[in-house]
Amino acid sequence: MTDNDAPQEGLEAAEAEIDEEPAEGAGPAAGSAEEETIEPVDEQDAETDDVEAETTDEEPEDEGPTLDDDVMSDEEADLLIPVEDYLGAGVHIGTQQKTKDMERFIHRVRTDGLYVLDVSKTDGRIRTAADFLANYAPEQILVTSSRQYGRFPAEKFAEAVGARARTGRFIPGTLTNPKYKGYIEPDVVVVTDPIGDAQAVKEAITVGIPVIAMCDSNNQTSNVDLVVPTNNKGRKALSVVYWLLANEVLDRRGAEPSYSLEDFESML
Amino acid sequence: MSTTDQQETRSCVSCGINIAGTNAAAFKCPECGKQIYRCAKCRKQSNLYECPDCGFTGP
Repeated sequence: MTDNDAPQEGLEAAEAEIDEEPAEGAGPAAGSAEEETIEPVDEQDAETDDVEAETTDEEPEDEGPTLDDDVMSDEEADLLIPVEDYLGAGVHIGTQQKTKDMERFIHRVRTDGLYVLDVSKTDGRIRTAADFLANYAPEQILVTSSRQYGRFPAEKFAEAVGARARTGRFIPGTLTNPKYKGYIEPDVVVVTDPIGDAQAVKEAITVGIPVIAMCDSNNQTSNVDLVVPTNNKGRKALSVVYWLLANEVLDRRGAEPSYSLEDFESML
Repeated sequence: MSTTDQQETRSCVSCGINIAGTNAAAFKCPECGKQIYRCAKCRKQSNLYECPDCGFTGP
C-alpha cells in the first residue's frame, strides 16, 4: 500500500505545482497578490500553531494593504486605463531579480523581494511605442512571441494592426535567408521577451532594423531600441499591454479601435 | 571628392562615431520623428541615447 500511496502523493504534488505556475504567471493581479499574502500565513500558521497564533494573524493585516499600494512615482499621471486595471492584470509585477538596464523602470521592491515596475512609465512607453509603430507600414511590422502566454495576444495584435506575427519557434533565417520560404523583410520587430525571442532579436540586428521589446525587471536591454517595461510573463498582463498597444496604434492612424480586452485574452 | 564626403553623415547618437558596416540601426525618434542612428556597439552595450531635438531618452 505504501508503494501505491507514495507515487500518488508525488503526482498530486506535481499537479499542484503545475496548476500553481500558470496562476502566478497568468495574473499576478489582485487575486494572486492575495494568494501571495495568504501563502506565507499558512506556512507560518503551520509552524507557529503550537507557539504563537496571535502574532501570525496580525502580520497579514499589516502587510496586505502595503503590497500593491505604491506602484508609480506620479500619482496624478494620466493613464490609458485606470491604475486599478493595470494592477488587476499584474502589469506592474516584476521578478525577484533585476538588471541594471531595467533599474530606471523599477519603482520599488516589495517585502517579498519582487520588484515593482513603475506603471506610469509602462503607460508612457506604450504610447511611445505606438507613436513609433505608426511611422511604419502595417505589413512591415513583425511581432514575435515564443512565450506561450504571449502567442495569442501577439497574433491578435498583428491581426488588429495588420502586422505579421511569428509565434512559437522563430525559424532561423526568417529575416536573413532569402532562400527560406518564410523569408520576410520587415522594417521593425516587436518581441514579447528578449530572452525567449533571442533569435528574432539576433536576426533583427543582422539586418539592421529597430527592435521594440517588452522587458521585465530581469531582462537585459542589449540590442533593444525601445523598451516597454511590463510583466512579460503573465497572461493577463500581456493581453492588456498588447491590447493597449493595438488600440494606440490604431488611434494614431485615425482608425477606430474595435477590439475589447476580452478579444486579447487567451483561453486557459 | 571622396565617397565618404559625399555620403550623408551618419553618426551614432550615443557615442558620435561614424556608422559603417552592419548591425547598426536607423530609425525615427519615437517622440518627434527625427532620424536617429545607433552604432552596433552602443546597441549591444545598451548605451542610453538621447534625441537631440526632443530629449527623448531610450532605449
